[in-house]
Parts: sequence; structure tokens; C-alpha cells
Amino acid sequence: MSSLAFLLIRSIKNSLLELLHKPAKLVLWIAIIAMIVGIFVLSTSTRQSAGSILDINWLKGILFLLVLFFVVMAIQKGLANGDTIFDMSDVNLLFVSPVNPRMILMYGIVRMAKIAFLAGFFILFQSNTLSNVFGVGFNAVLLVLLGFILAVCLLQIISLLIYSLSNGKPARKMVVRFISVAVFLPLIIYICIQLLQTNAPLAAVENTLHSSIITWTPVAGWASEGIVSLISGNMGNGFLFLGLIVLSGALLILYIVLSNPDYYEDVLVATETSFEKKRIISEGQINTDATSMKKVKVSKTGIVGSGASTIFYKHLRESFRANKLGLWGTSSIIIIFSAALVARFMSGESGGLLMILQILMWMQIFFIGTGRGLKEVYMHYIYLIPESSFRKIVWSNLELAFKVLVESLAIFFIAGYILGESSPLIILAIAVYTLFSFLLLGINYLSLRWTGADLSTGLLTFIYTIAVIVIMLPGLITAIFVGRMYGGIGVLIGLGILTIWELIAALVCFALSKGILHNCDMPVFKPGSQR
Amino acid sequence: MINVNNMSKKYGKLVANNNINLSIDGGELAVLLGPNGAGKSTLIKSICGLLRFGGSITIDGHENHTTEAKRLLGYVPEFPVLYPMLTVAEHLEFIAKAYRLDNWKQNAKELLRRFELDDKNMKLGKELSKGMQQKVSVCCALLPQPKAVVFDEPLVGLDPHGIRELKAVMQQLRDSGCALLVSTHMIESMEENWDVTYIMVKGQIERVCRRSEIKAGQSLEDVYFEITEGHPEDTRHE
Repeated sequence: MSSLAFLLIRSIKNSLLELLHKPAKLVLWIAIIAMIVGIFVLSTSTRQSAGSILDINWLKGILFLLVLFFVVMAIQKGLANGDTIFDMSDVNLLFVSPVNPRMILMYGIVRMAKIAFLAGFFILFQSNTLSNVFGVGFNAVLLVLLGFILAVCLLQIISLLIYSLSNGKPARKMVVRFISVAVFLPLIIYICIQLLQTNAPLAAVENTLHSSIITWTPVAGWASEGIVSLISGNMGNGFLFLGLIVLSGALLILYIVLSNPDYYEDVLVATETSFEKKRIISEGQINTDATSMKKVKVSKTGIVGSGASTIFYKHLRESFRANKLGLWGTSSIIIIFSAALVARFMSGESGGLLMILQILMWMQIFFIGTGRGLKEVYMHYIYLIPESSFRKIVWSNLELAFKVLVESLAIFFIAGYILGESSPLIILAIAVYTLFSFLLLGINYLSLRWTGADLSTGLLTFIYTIAVIVIMLPGLITAIFVGRMYGGIGVLIGLGILTIWELIAALVCFALSKGILHNCDMPVFKPGSQR
Repeated sequence: MINVNNMSKKYGKLVANNNINLSIDGGELAVLLGPNGAGKSTLIKSICGLLRFGGSITIDGHENHTTEAKRLLGYVPEFPVLYPMLTVAEHLEFIAKAYRLDNWKQNAKELLRRFELDDKNMKLGKELSKGMQQKVSVCCALLPQPKAVVFDEPLVGLDPHGIRELKAVMQQLRDSGCALLVSTHMIESMEENWDVTYIMVKGQIERVCRRSEIKAGQSLEDVYFEITEGHPEDTRHE
């Protein structure tokens, strides 16, 4: 057996054996697979009644945007460090071994497909949504995943090639930037023309989705058209566009292999950068600002406060230094804008604000961890400051509470105004969303306190997510049940009940996680592995 | 000053620290030695209140999780973790304000000068090399003028000047009555200063050795290898 085949097979075998030694991880994987199967069964059972609601071309638009996001990332990576297709262990052991570099590249590409699959894993959970919105089944989800993996693989090769060709050559980097914009220029011009002709944004987007301009836009257009064609049964078109991705990838690999067999230097920087990021995280630095290449201008300096309150003022200084908008970065603007856009689309239909609230609450489950307060518990400073644990926790989360409150005011007042909703409904939506964030913080601390934080990050996230669902269920069931009894004002009563429930549950969670800084091991960020 | 009584720490089934007893008085420099995986960092993190444990740990008679104990304790971690968006000066300001220190500026200035950081005041945490970060970490730990300081591999990553300065700082702290616990693999760097050595093997303290107890001509390194490998001469002359 060749050394590369041995490495691949042994890695897979060891990963499976590791599951037997770590029952918690095994349970997590079984639960994930059960969820996927459950979603598959649910989608097949509900599909007949649901029928197609939206034109499948809208799915093409969504997929185009999804792949476009990865296109932008690939170009940025290519212009910076290139993409990571190897591990540091490959660099240290394989690159110095007497194995053909071209074979090693092939090995890297096989590993790359695994990374692409993991990146697209979330797609498997979208079966029910796709079934309800587009009236398609689980086979469509698998096609979306296939197209996504192919596109991501091609983009990783493009990223590697961009780095290889433009590394240390500013003129070439400019050319890459120029080409990157030029490729999308026809599409941008076409959308502008459509906007001018129709004077209706929705119609302009719809016309663009039906045009061949979007279809022939490299990678994003090819992937979205290929997937949607296969889902619609247009096999020829589907194979043509997905084949185009495969062919492009093969040609680019051939080019790299023939023109530059000594590609080690090109992948080294990306591999070392990636390794360094992992090392920094494993040493306790989980703040993404630490590895960001963004230039930061230091103008205002100094920290105010005294005792535990210093933590809050330190957070303000850090946030305003990292971002001109302070607590509210690009993500806040995107969320507010997206909510307004959804409200615009839903205008005239009932339940628009509740739908926005529901989506944002789901997103908040995972976004809450990005706050600086929760990150503090991964560093030693907060444990050593001679102040009470409670005061330190409160002050360290004040920044997030303030951020969420202001964000929710903007989101729901704007969306509510567009939808023409009543003031009480808007105020209750703000209360539900803000208190939900408060509850999520409480559940986060409770999860850390209960598990002692001695778990892998994946398992901790799983326990946290289950805890959120379990804690929210009684409040949700009561809100829906009571709300239905009161007809017209039932929605307001239901939201009122949910607000009270969230407040009580959050206070209980915080009370139960009291003394977390004394009774919990300082957590170490463990991406998938245990001590 | 630092008292550890019957302290144990488990990670699942793994016993990282087993019934540890340790005592360091004011004006005493204790060195914690042991091979990789002996449980030194776990013991240090437990002393600093970063981990749960069985048994008791006190700092000057105060249970180590109390604010009184925290006020007396300084900690230099193995890996210097700074706030990437704070400048060097702001790190010290943060510690000073959080610890409610009075008249701290002169002390901060002196620490920065000693570790050649006085021209790096406006540098962000993320812009510093690992060695520089380690120096800032030391300054943060010493700014509150603690009565007990715990160092976990403090010399790793420091340049020769930093090593010399840190050793001098340790000497001064010891002379001023501060209790010091230093975990290190660089045994020879501690030869001059140590008072007592705790040698850990497999989660337990295998030997406590006072400077007065070692034979003439015997070094700390000899004591260490005698305990961990049993053949001091063989190892020394390799």
C-alpha cells in the first residue's frame, strides 16, 4: 500500500475508532444522523400536501448567493495566503519525504473534498425548508450538497492558483482583482438595466434569474444552474454545468501540476497561517481579532471604570477600536437590512413580524456566543480580578445586552413600520427578542456550569442547543395554547406570556449558574477533541 | 503564604493531581519540576482558582476563590493571552482599574522600562511577538504588587534580556517577602535562586527538597534526574 493511501485509510479508521473511545462524541453523531433521517422522513411525509409554493428559480438565486459568498472568500484567500488543503503534519512529514509531489497534491485534493463536505453539512438539515418552500424532496437536498461540494472544491483550487500566480506580485494581484470584478460586471449591468426597465426590484431580480447571464456567470452561476436543472429533471443542462465545474477543476489541477511541480512554497504560508490560528486558539486566545490581518488605527486610548465595571468599559474600548460602529458592526447592519427586506416582501401578508422574530431567535442561538462577555470566561483575567463572581458576570455581559436591545429596537421598529404592525406587537417582539438573548446567556453559563466545561466544543454546543429547546418549550406551548383561546389579541397575549417565561427562565438559569467563576474549570476551546 | 492541603484534581478517570500538599512561605522561592504530563500546570491553575479541585488551597489563610486571596495573588500563565485590541498601556490600566489600585502609574512605568516595553506603550496586543506578550503578561501579574506570585513556564519565549530581568525581579520579590512558585523545565535558570523544590511525577509530589538538604557539588538538575530517572550521573554526562 502506498504511503498516501495508508495515511488516508488509517486516518478514517482512527476517526471511527476514536468514536468508540468517546461515547459522548458517538452519541452526538448518532443524534445528528437521527436528525437528518428525521428531517428526511418529515420532508417525504409533508411533500405531497405542501406542493410547490415558490418558483424553483428562486432556489437558483439562493444557491447563486451561497456559492457567490464562497467565491468572494476564495478570491480573498488567494490574494492573502492561499487556501489550506494540507495540515502542518503533512508539511512536516510528507513534504520532506521521497513521495512524488504530484501524488501529494492529489492526496491534498482528496482531503479537500472532505473539508468541502463538512462545509456543506448544514445543507442536509434544509430538507424540510426546501420541501415546504419549493416542493422538492430529499433527493434535491443531496443534489444541492453535490453541487456545493463541487463548487467549493473548484474554488479551493482557484484560490491556490491565485496565490501561486500572484504571491509577492502586486501587479498580478491587481489583475486578479480586475478579473474578479469583470467576471460579474455583465450580471451587474444586466440587473441595473432590468431595474431601469421594470422599475420594480422584485421583477428585476426575477428577470435576472431567468436570464442566461446569471447562468453563465462562472462557478456561482454554473453551480446554481446545474443543481436546479438536475432537480427540475433537465439532465442535459445539469450535467453540462456541473461538468463544466469538474472540467475547470481538472484543467486547473493539470495546469498547477505541469507548470509548477514545486508548489510546496505556495501552500506553506496558508498551512502555517491555519496552524498558527489553531495553536493560538488552543493556547486560550479565542478572540478572532487576534488573528485578523486588518490594520487597526489607535487614536483614542484609555479605560475607565473601577472594579468589575472596568470589564464593561474595556469591552467598549475593544469594540470601538475593532469597528467604527462600535458594538454594532456589519453583521448588525446586515440583520437590520435583511429584516427590512423580508418585511418588504411580506408586506400585506399577516404574520410577517412573527416570522422575522422566529428567524432571528434561531440565529441568535448561535450568534450569542460571539459576544465578548462569554469569551472572557476562556481567559484567566476575569477569574483573578478580586471582585464578586456575580458582579463580574453582569458587567462582562452588559455590552451584549445593550447591543441586542438597540439592535432589536432598530429591527422591529423598521420591519414593523414597513409591515404596518401595531405598536404593542412591535414592543412585545422587542421584549421577546431581547429577553431571549438574556435567556441564551443564562443557558450558556448554565451549560458551562453543569458540564464543568470539560467537553469538546461540538458536544457543549449540542447540549446548549438541546437545553434551549427544552427550556423554551413550556413557554412556547403555553403561549400558543393561551394565545389561540383569545382570537384577535391572542398573539399579543401569547407574546406577553413568552416574555414573562423568558424572564423567569433566564433568572433561574443565572441563579443556578451562580458562582460559575468559582465552580467551573476555566474552559479551553477544544474543537472536537478532549483533553 | 501559599498552602495546598490534600489537593486532588481529576479529569474524568484521569487523576491529574493526587493528594498534593505544598507550602510556600513569604520570602521563599519554590520551584516546581516534573516531566511533561506530571500535573504541574493543573496544580498551578488550581492554586490560581482557574480549576475545581478537591482539598483546600489558601493564600495567606484565605480560601483561594475569595476576593482577599485574589488581591494577594499574581499569575503568569504558560501561554501569554492578551487582549488583541488593547494597547500595552491599556492592559496595565485595565488591571489597575479592575484591581482598584491607587498610584499605580509609576509602578507600571517602571515595569515597562525593566522589560524594555516603554517604547511599545501604544502597540496592540495582537501586534506583539510571543516574547513581548510574555513580558506584558508578567507586568500585568506584578502590577498589583502581589504577596504571592505563581509563574508557569515564565522564561519560555523571552529574549536574554527578558530572562535576566525576570530572574532579577524574582530575586527582588523574594527579598521583599513575596512567596514565589515557579514551574519550569529550564532547571539551570533557577539554580541560583531556589529555596525549595517540589518534584512531581504522575500527578504526585515525589520529593520535596530544600536547598540546605542537597549535598555539596550536587545541582538541582542532579536532584531532578535522581528522582525522575534514578541515574543522575548517566544523564548528566550524556
